Amino acid sequence: MPGLQTWVGMSEIHVQKGPTLFTCAGLASCIGLVAYDPLAKVGGMAHIMLPESFPEKPTAKPGQFANTAIPALLDEMERLGASPTKLIAAYAGGAQVFRFGAGKEALGVGARNAAAVAEWVRKYGLKVVAEDVGGNLGRTLTMCTTSGDVKVRTVDGVERVLCNVLQEPWQPTP
Amino acid sequence: MATNTMTIEDIVRKTTDLPTMPAAAIRVIREADSSTSTAGTMAQSLAQDQSLSARVLRLANSAYYGLSRRITNLQEAVIVLGMRSIRNLAMVASTYPWMTRPLKGYGLGPRQLWTHSFGVAIGAQLVAQKARLDDADAAFTAGLLHDLGKVALSVWLEDKVAQLIGIAIAEGVTFDEAERRVLGFDHTEVGEYLAESWNLPSVLTQAIRYHHQPNLAEPPSKLVDAVHVGDYLTMTMGFGLGADGLQYEFFEEALERLKLSAEDLDTVTDSFVLAYEGYESMFMELQVA
Repeated sequence: MPGLQTWVGMSEIHVQKGPTLFTCAGLASCIGLVAYDPLAKVGGMAHIMLPESFPEKPTAKPGQFANTAIPALLDEMERLGASPTKLIAAYAGGAQVFRFGAGKEALGVGARNAAAVAEWVRKYGLKVVAEDVGGNLGRTLTMCTTSGDVKVRTVDGVERVLCNVLQEPWQPTP
Repeated sequence: MATNTMTIEDIVRKTTDLPTMPAAAIRVIREADSSTSTAGTMAQSLAQDQSLSARVLRLANSAYYGLSRRITNLQEAVIVLGMRSIRNLAMVASTYPWMTRPLKGYGLGPRQLWTHSFGVAIGAQLVAQKARLDDADAAFTAGLLHDLGKVALSVWLEDKVAQLIGIAIAEGVTFDEAERRVLGFDHTEVGEYLAESWNLPSVLTQAIRYHHQPNLAEPPSKLVDAVHVGDYLTMTMGFGLGADGLQYEFFEEALERLKLSAEDLDTVTDSFVLAYEGYESMFMELQVA
């Protein structure tokens, strides 16, 4: 376990070259997205709150929205020497908070966040090796860049390894 | 503990660490709602509690308000910030000491109930502003106090929380319904009991009582609806989620009564983070106050 922990608050994006433990705590409907370039040893994490930015309003924090967070994360990682085509990514969150009446599922921002992240990672050709979305439990997502483990811990205390970004066989994006 | 044979009165009587509300803070709430109050009478009410007054002045001088000079007396604070803001500051100063305690019965660590309650205060206020309610600031106070009952009930739930979650999951009921099945009442009813014992205005008591069941409020109350929606937004964003987190029901009728759409909720969510971050400078003052 590296000594340095990088906490990623709501709407934030953090990138780091070298060892750290990226942590997104208290994810409910938000999505935590991690990416790692094993060759450049550059990692990054975004804590995404909403599916899409508001067209009529400037975006103060690109990490806030799925459509702006993903390109911003890639840009910041590239600045530290990562190659966007070599990134291994995973994401978790998007829980459905509260129950809704029939036909009111559009209110469920968790599901909309998960769908938006899936869409934008595909658009940017990000290689996603694991995801853990939905359900109704809050999550904490971590990525240890020393061991490569990406872990999800739910509020009921259960922790599991979602994937290992160092053990994923890297293949060039077709 | 044989909680299922206990009444709300028993719970309140036997709990050693009950939340408290200074009499001066209650007077401040009433002053803010009164058409005859002045900056002078408001300051007088506050001045009856020196410790509360000192904390309110400290908050008024926090970086959050960015005042160009230091406010040194209460009357000036009321004039500069307004009665409703002073009421909210008095509420923040009064609740912070007991709301930051951990609540093991709800799986909440130190400060987590505070984080959640403060989030609901901001969320309910933003919802009330979006819905153009007359006194959006009252939604702040109602949101801050909405989970008051949890503070009294927590210790009695410590050995029952796994059972309650089990019932909620196995039977597909909400956490407040599981509380009612096991205890005969839920945290909103305990909160209502405490609020009445403090003599809080009935609109606030109603918001505490019906924040999980806004359709039961009689007559319907937009303040209750704003707190319900604020609670939903705050939990959705993961602020202070405890063991009961995400096991509640959202009543879209609350949105309909407030005349808000799903898109409006997204814009409130967007404003929420900035508003919350803005208040963080105030938290610093609370920690030393």
